[in-house]
Amino acid sequence: MDKKPRFDQKLLAIFTKPFRVLKEVLADIKKHPDAFKSALLSVFIMGAGQFRNKQKSKGAIFLGLFLLVVLVEVLTGGYIYALDEIARFPADSGGTVYFIRDYGGFFSYGLWGLFTLGQVVGQTIYRGQFVETFNKNIPWLTADNSVTLLGRGLIVFVIALVIFGFYVYNIVDAYRTRKQINAGAEVETGIKYFKRLWNDMFPYIILIPSLVMIMFFTLVPFLFSFLLAFTNYTYRLQIPNVLIRWVGFDTFRLIVGDAGWFNMFLGVLSWTFIYAIMSSVTVYLLGLFQAIIIESKFVKVKKLWRTILIVPWAIPAMISLMVFRNVFDTNGLANQLLYATDMMRPVSTFLYNIGLQGRLDNPIFWLTANYNGNLAKFVVLIVNLWLGAPYFMMLITGVLTTLPKDLYEAASIDGATRFQQFKSITMPLILRATLPAIVMTFTFNFNNFGAIFFLTGGGPAFAREVIPQSMRIMGGVPGQTDILISWIYNLSFASNAQLYNIASVYSILIFLFIGSISVFNLARSKGLWEED
Amino acid sequence: MKYKVTNIFLAIFSYTWLIAASFVVLVPVIWMISAAFTRGNLLTSVPLIPDPSRWSLSNFEFIFTYRSNPASQMADFPGAFLRTLQIAILTTVGVTFFSVITGFAFARLRFKGKKFMLLTMMVLQMFPSFMGMVALFLLFRTFGILNKPNYLALIYIAGSIPYNTFLVRGFMRNIPKSLDESAAIDGASPLQTLRLILFPLIIPIIGFLAVGAFMGPWLDFILQARFLQPENITVSVWLFRTTDPFNTLFYNPLRFMAGALLIAIPIMVLQFFMQKYLVYGLTSGAEKG
Repeated sequence: MDKKPRFDQKLLAIFTKPFRVLKEVLADIKKHPDAFKSALLSVFIMGAGQFRNKQKSKGAIFLGLFLLVVLVEVLTGGYIYALDEIARFPADSGGTVYFIRDYGGFFSYGLWGLFTLGQVVGQTIYRGQFVETFNKNIPWLTADNSVTLLGRGLIVFVIALVIFGFYVYNIVDAYRTRKQINAGAEVETGIKYFKRLWNDMFPYIILIPSLVMIMFFTLVPFLFSFLLAFTNYTYRLQIPNVLIRWVGFDTFRLIVGDAGWFNMFLGVLSWTFIYAIMSSVTVYLLGLFQAIIIESKFVKVKKLWRTILIVPWAIPAMISLMVFRNVFDTNGLANQLLYATDMMRPVSTFLYNIGLQGRLDNPIFWLTANYNGNLAKFVVLIVNLWLGAPYFMMLITGVLTTLPKDLYEAASIDGATRFQQFKSITMPLILRATLPAIVMTFTFNFNNFGAIFFLTGGGPAFAREVIPQSMRIMGGVPGQTDILISWIYNLSFASNAQLYNIASVYSILIFLFIGSISVFNLARSKGLWEED
Repeated sequence: MKYKVTNIFLAIFSYTWLIAASFVVLVPVIWMISAAFTRGNLLTSVPLIPDPSRWSLSNFEFIFTYRSNPASQMADFPGAFLRTLQIAILTTVGVTFFSVITGFAFARLRFKGKKFMLLTMMVLQMFPSFMGMVALFLLFRTFGILNKPNYLALIYIAGSIPYNTFLVRGFMRNIPKSLDESAAIDGASPLQTLRLILFPLIIPIIGFLAVGAFMGPWLDFILQARFLQPENITVSVWLFRTTDPFNTLFYNPLRFMAGALLIAIPIMVLQFFMQKYLVYGLTSGAEKG
């Protein structure tokens, strides 16, 4: 009973905070009209307030940034032609001249593109002229390409956001400094100011290059594909003769509402989970098993066995996967071995009887026949086992060698059998040390694009009658071993699909799932939260 | 008595298992090597029992002598190798530099929004990276750096910062802070502390990051396949093309095996020499997640 109102109050406080801050600021301004003048100067021209405060070098930097922005905007725009051209090519009757579209520079044009996604398409008449896909001489006769506009717009938006930050800082700084001067403080000289700035801002300054890179190469792409989920962008749109539109949740509705598509999705999703869970569990168990065998007292020359069994870990996964693609080729090692040892018929019969193989073949089509989906999935898991077990073997061997000996001594004095010791000392210790690695392996395998793409390429394909009507029309059919991530790849890049909007929706799905797991994992780990 | 019998049984079982496992592990590898030395382009002509007396160097000969020409759709292997090497070196330098700096900032410096930034970084990198590829493609086109292999290093560096920051930060926190403080008392600036005091102590984790960063570009496929034209491809794309049955002109699994061997061996050697660093990375993965 006690907690709820407190929470409400907190919420209220959060919502009213901006107003309270605004009130305080206004009151402060009333008290210091002279400082407000400096701030006002900086509002119109960056750095002007600083000049008024007699901080020349600081002002020069702000002014320089301001001029740079203006210069870039003017030079990349077509403002100098605007008046003349508008007079010569007036708007069509009933239409308008899109001024920013036609003459805007880097910033204004970019933001315009982001918000409108384009206004004039190819093969139409605009301002009495024919709009082409690309017009070298007259920029505004080039059709609007919504995708490019969206991408460019985001880049500009991020850059503009940073500049806006400087702009706000410039205003606040002009105000504060003036206030201090009026209160009798000494004017900070340029060098002194920069020294202080360097000291105060040191963490941010050394982080800037990294943050800029993350912004461009992680954040912008993230936002871009996030936004694509709310558009109707597929290859079928004849860009730039058609504009992309914001369609809200239509794409979400399509992939859930269309029964055939949704079933296909559920199939891929459940295989993704089966694959991620099974691959992590099998790899862990085999690794554990082999580590225990090697570390047991029965085995001599431990180093030799360890070195041999670790070989798969040393070979780059991508290369092993492509080698295994050849191993399980119809002419590959697997079938050759079966032939050489006269095992082809029994093995094929066995696989047929337990339902992995759809037909009694000879040779076996491991990864290609569309009735062998289960067999291909099985092969995927086996190959993953080959690749992944050594990692856990090494990890667990490492844990085993660090186990405290005295625990075992105490246990055997108390009369515990070896199995009891294993169950209540070894296993819990190993589990505790390797749990994060298991979670990590799970999330890694959930998104293990390479394990599918290089080995099976998603194949074998589904039989034609299984494919729902909607997918036959739109493309983007998954393969039988496709997990979500490799399906997304096909959805976006296969030549007959390129359903970017749908791929984006699924990416968001994966992101929410994997993201929450890792946030959970991080939140649990003490390392992140405890402050020194 | 019974105890002894169990022991013998367990010993036999252990050795049987180990021998069987070694067999499973080694057979594909030996087959791959033997395929690399087999003439022709058919997997069926690879003998099951390797016969070094009949080995031929024709695949390697092709790899080293074939030169790309404007008419062909395929770059030559040495060129692809050098391009990948360049990307790998640039990536290694960049990753080491930026990871150490950001890791230092997050481990040792106090500033506003630290946790928020770290968490955001860690969560952002969970997004399927190639979904951003359309955007990266546009970005590269806007700046005119498409089809220029070296610039791919930027993407690799940026992509590796979050997790590496986390690792370096975790490592640095285990170094007593009193070291920094005494350095600060002696008048060292934060950067000097990092360079002179902390840097020598974090060599193990740097070694781990550097090996990882160096290997990354050799094993990444999608980005290189999407951003580079056929004349500028890298090793991984080259390998994929030779093992892609739909690529009828260049499909040759035996040639692939030879190329794969040429890449796998240096990487394995590198891993072998850097083993102590890699083992560190493994254990840190176990502790920190």
